[in-house]
Amino acid sequence: MSVAIPAAARKRRNWRDFVPTEIVPFAVGILLWQALSSADIWPRVLFPSPLEVANAFVADTLSGALPANLWVSMKSLLLGFVISCAIAIPLGYLMGLSRVTRNFFDPLVNLLQAIPGLAWIPFAILWFGLGQGAVLFIIVMSIFFPVLHNLLTGIRMVQPVLIEAVQTLGAGRAAVVRHVIFPATLPNLMTGIRLGIAFGFRSLVGGEMIASTDGLGYAIFNAQQYFQSPRIVVGMLTIGIVWLAMDRLILRPIEVRTTMRWGLIRDGLEKS
Amino acid sequence: MTDILVANDVSKTYFDTDEKDNVVALQGLSLSVRAHEFVSVIGPSGCGKSTFLRIVAGLDKPTSGEIRVSGKKVTGPGADRGMVFQEYALLPWKTTEANIEFGLRLKGMEAAKRREITQRFVDLVGLTGFEKKYPHQLSGGMRQRAAVARVLANNPTVLLMDEPFAAVDAMTRQHLQEELTSITAHERTTVLFITHAIEEAVFLSDRVVALSGRPGRIVADLMIDLPRPRKWDDVVRDERFAAYRDQLTQSIHSSGAKVHT
Repeated sequence: MSVAIPAAARKRRNWRDFVPTEIVPFAVGILLWQALSSADIWPRVLFPSPLEVANAFVADTLSGALPANLWVSMKSLLLGFVISCAIAIPLGYLMGLSRVTRNFFDPLVNLLQAIPGLAWIPFAILWFGLGQGAVLFIIVMSIFFPVLHNLLTGIRMVQPVLIEAVQTLGAGRAAVVRHVIFPATLPNLMTGIRLGIAFGFRSLVGGEMIASTDGLGYAIFNAQQYFQSPRIVVGMLTIGIVWLAMDRLILRPIEVRTTMRWGLIRDGLEKS
Repeated sequence: MTDILVANDVSKTYFDTDEKDNVVALQGLSLSVRAHEFVSVIGPSGCGKSTFLRIVAGLDKPTSGEIRVSGKKVTGPGADRGMVFQEYALLPWKTTEANIEFGLRLKGMEAAKRREITQRFVDLVGLTGFEKKYPHQLSGGMRQRAAVARVLANNPTVLLMDEPFAAVDAMTRQHLQEELTSITAHERTTVLFITHAIEEAVFLSDRVVALSGRPGRIVADLMIDLPRPRKWDDVVRDERFAAYRDQLTQSIHSSGAKVHT
């Protein structure tokens, strides 16, 4: 009998994979950027060079301004993420499992999820004043809906035959939830979390520009007021780097150990 | 031998949302299965054979009539009626052995005993060496073996199978059919097997029940007297095999339904 086993379980990533996949794309990006700025097409203030940005990065790090702003922003983002998930995930499963709950919350959720997190800024300022309280509120409003929406989609996609199969093995409701619904919804929940964090970053930066006096968003906005364009880029890149680190150090490893290992999702269309 | 599964005057009417009309899938079906008996139910598509199996499993409710297994009325799904599905229905997040021992875990069986039983059924269905693989790493035939082992390890009163080999290629199907006859004979399993393939039913069964087209009524109930263990090479040469097949085909034909052999 033929045995179809994909070429070995995914190998642990080593430096040989690391250089082409993680270093080369960024090196090429930086070289292109340097080339463009060396060409002197635009004034320096409109298009700062990588070197200027690197200098600003070192200066802002040493002065403590960047770490302080990063800390403030990350605190809001993380807290907002935890609060959103703490409500959205239980509510999602409740809505998925109970028709009454679903029928009640579905219209409300649909109405509210179309409203961008940033649209809450005026009320956020009125209710919480200028500062991270207001920022936290709009972050929660931004992360909550993508997490909930994707989780609900995941619950709707659970194959009925899996539930029926475990029922004929003696599974009751609790076992169905634990052994079928939870793992089956994990890919969509991860998508919801990714989107949620991405939306959270948008609201974080937008919110801090308008409603706060500290944080990365504020730092970017403030640098523009003083025409310190390298510092704008430092703020922007820091956000990118933080996201990349979260993805590579937390989200990806979770996916590699769960949904990818189970064959529910994969990297691309090519055969492994 | 005693009747272990009794279907008493089972009818099923459901509302077809596309046709906007009531459809009678089954009408007054009565059937008894004895302990250790391998019974196949065949019939043209739409005759309600799968509906019948789902009612036995407790996954669907009959409109009228009742099913009794070991004298107990069926009110919902349970471990005494384990089912093997055409789509394998293994849990993708569990390895082969974790899938097979799943029912035993639900029963709260201690780990050592659980492992012993699991290994016995892993070996029995020929998946030795694939215990730690996930379903997506197995071929279709291996997945269905794991699905059979998963139910058998749980020691059901009756094994329910809903066209389990319809999704695998023809070569693998013959292997699996031969293995199934030897395993169920060895384990003395009571089996209720659903298929639209008449030859498959004859090959596997002690008894074949043929249903007419919708609504399904019993048009033939035939004891299959072929020696066991059965191998396709021998069975197809046995003239009784062809006779049973032709008789069943004829019964379904004369009931007015189209037949696929």
